[in-house]
Amino acid sequence: MRPSLTAGLSRAVLAPLRAVGLLAAVSAAVFAATELLPGDAADAVGAGRASAAQLAELRAERGLDRPGWERWAGWAWALLHGDAGRSLLSGRPVVDVVGGRLPATAVLAGPAFVLTALLVLLGCALAGRRALRRPGDAGGGLATAFTAVPQVVVAAALAALLSGVLGWVPPVSLLPAGGGPPDPSIVLLPVLTLALPSAAFGVALLGGAVADALRRPYVTDALIRGVPAGRILRRHVLPVLAAPALRVLAVVVGGLTAGSALVETVFGYAGAGELLVSSVAARDTPVVQLLALGSAAAVLAVLLLADLVPVRRPS
Amino acid sequence: MLAAVVVAVTLLGPALAPYDPAAPVTAPWQASSAGHLLGGDVLGRDVFSRLLAGGRHLLALSLVAAVAATLAGTLGGLLAGWSGSRVIATGADLLLAVPVLLPALVVAVSLPGDAAVVIATVLAGAPLTLGVVRDAAAGVQERGYVRAARLRGERTLEVLLREVLPAVAGVLAADLGLRFVTALQLASALAVLGLTDAPATGDWAAMLRENLAGAALNPAALAAPALLLALLSLAVAAAAHAGLRHAFGTGDT
Repeated sequence: MRPSLTAGLSRAVLAPLRAVGLLAAVSAAVFAATELLPGDAADAVGAGRASAAQLAELRAERGLDRPGWERWAGWAWALLHGDAGRSLLSGRPVVDVVGGRLPATAVLAGPAFVLTALLVLLGCALAGRRALRRPGDAGGGLATAFTAVPQVVVAAALAALLSGVLGWVPPVSLLPAGGGPPDPSIVLLPVLTLALPSAAFGVALLGGAVADALRRPYVTDALIRGVPAGRILRRHVLPVLAAPALRVLAVVVGGLTAGSALVETVFGYAGAGELLVSSVAARDTPVVQLLALGSAAAVLAVLLLADLVPVRRPS
Repeated sequence: MLAAVVVAVTLLGPALAPYDPAAPVTAPWQASSAGHLLGGDVLGRDVFSRLLAGGRHLLALSLVAAVAATLAGTLGGLLAGWSGSRVIATGADLLLAVPVLLPALVVAVSLPGDAAVVIATVLAGAPLTLGVVRDAAAGVQERGYVRAARLRGERTLEVLLREVLPAVAGVLAADLGLRFVTALQLASALAVLGLTDAPATGDWAAMLRENLAGAALNPAALAAPALLLALLSLAVAAAAHAGLRHAFGTGDT
């Protein structure tokens, strides 16, 4: 077998294995952080009123007296079969509780993702143009600076502007009571708040790679020789950018999942992110576990994709 | 410079506040007037007074978290750079991709929000610091002054702390700034989510959430704390990036 083929094969086998291993590690960390630290679910249910004997009975009933790794294995095994336990708060199956919130979050995250992608493309195009015109300039300072601003500040600034000064949208995004699609004016604020910081991260990370790719000698050489710009992009620039772009995609997906927790809570929007925060506040451990693991799995899936794409190093 | 002004306001602010920051003194979300420079908040408390008092908890928490992260990363980085170990080199990509808020929320299930901010900042920041310090300390073993110190018979830890640490001090100062920005983002996020122990006298991040619904009535109650937080994080991040460029001698912009 040719070396490149063996390398590709081992990557195709090793990368998914590594992803599965990481997911298991993340699930153990999530489980340990939520279950094994002082104060367990029995304390939460008993709320300080139950006697020691009642607590012990409750622990035995829920299996909380077994060793930690055994409980983690049982939890993970049930999770693989689609059973994430029941919410401590409502008693409903966690899968149903979380599933009920996902459509509302998709309504935010979908447009936010598209907007982020467009903004990152625009930012990278600008960074590329700048790199060609002023070769010595590092650039990217504005996007990098913007990544320092806390997302809550972006939320507040947008709310003060769009709702306070201009009066275009309501400051609180309450979903219609009977379900059904929300009004576009309601999702505008949360979508913008989600997309702008993610886009800044994307441009800060990818803009430099774009500028580097365009400054390579063979690119400038091809430009001078009069090769059409489209062909230079396809042949010499885009292939080099595939791997960093996928890594930026993972960062953006992570940013959107974590951001949705913040944004939905701030604007009072009843999605999965708001569920995560309210479950943390209520110590509803099973719900937090499933939501945290789901977000981590989304990030790991994109990273796996980035691993599978063959890296083409510029010669 | 800007950061110094904000820190001074934070330290002296409570003494300068014209009203009790925890007591209602005007109508809720009253627009700004001569008596109340920035108007009233959700409960009619003076926004200006709360602004002056609201930085302490947030800044102290962020600073503790940043110092903890840099300290942990520095110790690990010095040891890794000295021994030439590459164990912790992998996984940097992964750490970059995992959003910091997620581990903070998970930890906040069983610990108080303030502790969650510190732990998540350390988890997310220490490995990055470690990488920087390890690279800076990697070649230092062969330098003349380090060899001289070892020949004098100093122990490894002494050499690391007395000879190697000063050599990476510039990088560390810049790194501390970056960790502070992360910690500030986390602390303000958890404060907005109501998961930290924000004091009754006010907290810039908590003010954002309290006054969001009154954005149309008194935009100043929302814009003022937002502006302060933004300026502070921008100033610290800019100083940190300038420090990194200076330490590594790359770029001149």
